[in-house]
Amino acid sequence: MRYLSTSKLAAVIGGAVIVMASTSALAMDAEAAKGLARQNNCLKCHGVDKDKDGPAYNKVAAKYKGKADAEDKLIRHITSGEKAKFPDGHEEEHKIVKTTPPNDKDQIKNLVQWILAQ
Amino acid sequence: MSTDNPGMLKRFWISINKPSAKYSVLALGAVFFVFGILFWGGFHTGLEMTNTLEFCTTCHEMRDNVYQEYKQTIHYSNRSGVRAVCSDCHVPREWGPKMIRKAKASLEVWGKLTGSIDTKEKFEAKRMQLAEHEWARMKASNSQECRNCHNWDAMSAELQKQTPYKKHMKAKEEGKTCIDCHKGIAHQLPKEYVDPDE
Repeated sequence: MRYLSTSKLAAVIGGAVIVMASTSALAMDAEAAKGLARQNNCLKCHGVDKDKDGPAYNKVAAKYKGKADAEDKLIRHITSGEKAKFPDGHEEEHKIVKTTPPNDKDQIKNLVQWILAQ
Repeated sequence: MSTDNPGMLKRFWISINKPSAKYSVLALGAVFFVFGILFWGGFHTGLEMTNTLEFCTTCHEMRDNVYQEYKQTIHYSNRSGVRAVCSDCHVPREWGPKMIRKAKASLEVWGKLTGSIDTKEKFEAKRMQLAEHEWARMKASNSQECRNCHNWDAMSAELQKQTPYKKHMKAKEEGKTCIDCHKGIAHQLPKEYVDPDE
């Protein structure tokens, strides 16, 4: 069996990461994400580019830009009922996003990817 | 035309128009009273049978589409065990509006016969139109079927989360009605729907 040199191995891994990242970005379905947001009344409290009771999605995206754990953090935020801080300072459990069929992780992930793409 | 040998309908008409020489007014009144109760009871029982979840889901159009979605929602299954079935939201309780809704629903039988939504694709293509009809009906009745169970004044500032409570009280002041904000709570929203708050 032939061994790859370190530089070749790095190139292969790098290429794979780029392909995976671009596939993931391409796979994001904006219409499905917006549909799920509407179904869950997300847009009553969040605007895409307008603050309401919750921050605008483009601000959320800017805050998490370049952070590796952004997706995980947002998924936890919208599925665990953790506390969210409101403009007047009070804290309230964030609504848990529901999917049909229930607990569809792909739909949740797609929604978070859409938010982070704003 | 000879009047010596009238037809069956005519003979019946003549016989019911004759004054009774045999029975008292009281006896006739009592018979009609009892028949009236039986007729009304039968009519009412039949009508109520069409208000059950089982009746609504005998059609595959309802069973395979909206029923499956509704089963995932809080109006089907919840902490307190209170269930709102199809008719609780879609059929008025008051007699007059209920009769009007039932008469309109009988026209929907034509849709069933012609197969207007007999496949998933056809249903999805018409979902927005169907939803808009129902939203308009609910808006016109000030969401009466929601308000049969829900009431602004019964909302507790302590027990309801602060944000929804504030939104509810603001909506009440603005004269809004339940369906203005709560669309798609028991079914999927149509894909064409855009939230006016966006």
